[in-house]
Amino acid sequence: MTKLPRISKSTLHRRAFPYLMCLPAVILFTLFVILPFVEGCRVSFFKWDGFSNMKWVGLKNYANVMHDDVFWLAMKNTFVYAILVTVMKNVIALALAYVLARKFPLRTLFRTGIYMPVTLSYVVIGALWTWIYNPTFGLLNALLKALGLEHLIVGWLSDSRVALYSVVAVDVWKWIGYHMVLYLAGLQAISQDLYEAAALDGANGWQKFVNITIPQLNSTIVVNVLMSLTGAFASNFDIVNILTGGGPMHATEVSLTYIMTTAFKYNSMGKANAMSMILFLLVFLFGFAQLRIMSREDAYE
Amino acid sequence: MEHRIKKKLPQAVWFLIVLVFFLLTVYPVIWMFCGSLKGPNEFYTNVWGLPTDPQWQNFADVWKNGAMGEKFCNSLIVTLGSLLLLIPINSCAAYAIGRLRFRGRRLIYGFLLMGIMIPSGVLGIPTFTVALRMGLNNTHLGLILIYVGQSIAMGVFIMRSFFISLPKELEEAAMIDGCTPFGSFLRVILPLASPGVMTQIIFNGLTIWNEYFMANIMLTKAEKLTLPLSIANFVGQHTTNYPVLFAALTIVTLPVVITYVLAQKGFIEGVSAGAVKG
Repeated sequence: MTKLPRISKSTLHRRAFPYLMCLPAVILFTLFVILPFVEGCRVSFFKWDGFSNMKWVGLKNYANVMHDDVFWLAMKNTFVYAILVTVMKNVIALALAYVLARKFPLRTLFRTGIYMPVTLSYVVIGALWTWIYNPTFGLLNALLKALGLEHLIVGWLSDSRVALYSVVAVDVWKWIGYHMVLYLAGLQAISQDLYEAAALDGANGWQKFVNITIPQLNSTIVVNVLMSLTGAFASNFDIVNILTGGGPMHATEVSLTYIMTTAFKYNSMGKANAMSMILFLLVFLFGFAQLRIMSREDAYE
Repeated sequence: MEHRIKKKLPQAVWFLIVLVFFLLTVYPVIWMFCGSLKGPNEFYTNVWGLPTDPQWQNFADVWKNGAMGEKFCNSLIVTLGSLLLLIPINSCAAYAIGRLRFRGRRLIYGFLLMGIMIPSGVLGIPTFTVALRMGLNNTHLGLILIYVGQSIAMGVFIMRSFFISLPKELEEAAMIDGCTPFGSFLRVILPLASPGVMTQIIFNGLTIWNEYFMANIMLTKAEKLTLPLSIANFVGQHTTNYPVLFAALTIVTLPVVITYVLAQKGFIEGVSAGAVKG
């Protein structure tokens, strides 16, 4: 008699156990990822300054965004930034990984050093490079002077013609090591037999690279490209804000700096949320593709 | 002979190219450490070299007068607080999803994975609104909960891949030995997945310690600021004492760089786990 309820209680425990294990994650994920996302969607249809009452305006915020020249400028800059950053990070990182994957003098030291900026905060990197780019005392201009290249000196962050490229250079500088490591892992997974067979057929180094390395690295390249693109579109606030704040004259204005300005300087929460949703749709495609690749590799195991 | 030169030449060119990249990445960081020890005059006169007369005073100045000590503690509270929450939360969910059979398992996993497709940049503004309504703005708890929430998708994904790689018979053996379901998770499975836990500590610890965007949205009160925030303010002020600023940068960077140099392999694997699974 006394044993029966105990058994059923423990079965209940066993039944509930998996759900209890998932519960905290589901709750926090819902409260701090899903709820904000839904809220962002909702607010994008209202006129709201963040404090007073919200007023339903339908698609007017989206229409405002479409008619906003600064938004289009920011989008143009974001695309230029994303394409440049993606191409440079991947080409340089792949080249470095290709060389450092084989026997190479001081290989470990080079890998360790080139990876180091990945561990630094954007804020630290921003502060450091503000100083490197400094027109009067900066390291870059001091270097150019030392090399006798004074005529190349410009206001790296204050000249609207070069400011965006200066920011791009810093972002590439930070992330090369990260992509290099991912490419190194990809390269190590390629079977040496393929290279030996190609060598027997008389292929030279470049032919081996194009005909074996690149096709074999296919999914690594896709993941790296998607990650650079997502980063450039949806986490571009830190570096731009610290280096230029989006200036001069919006020359380095990108998606997130303009969203933040719209929300907290112009107090136009509805429009800022509308822009966030547009940005989401853009990066959603990249994220979706990346998730597909990651779960595909997962299934192979 | 000619053949050997032909072979060696590209190798030398590549060595030079890699060396240049290495110097480009490492020199600015070394230069930052050196700059933090120079006096205000030496900073401008001796741009390239090592400090001739190390000014340790710079660190004392920034720690006390710049209130970096307080900010350091804030960063420590937020980072450790987040890790203490997110590691058990992500591990428990990943364990259930990876190793237990129950109705709705795939649904829950799919739901959590949606987070990978929603970058925090998109969530910034609406998270501010939601947190404001919950009364969490300007609190470390609020920032911690947001970091934990945003870590779940990737954390569960990574931990799950560690859990499913372990042999299936482990739980049965633990049950025979009299372990409860939770006991077998805690005492048998979790220790075997400790590389996964390490990965999470490094990946999230680094991200949160360095985080600026969300913190910038959530915290405005001076006494609540984290290190990256106070440094960003520091840079924004026009009358800046550069050696002292560099000392502040060094204070944020040094714990990370020391950990990195000591635990390089684990560190690189941990940070890259977001792209290549555990």
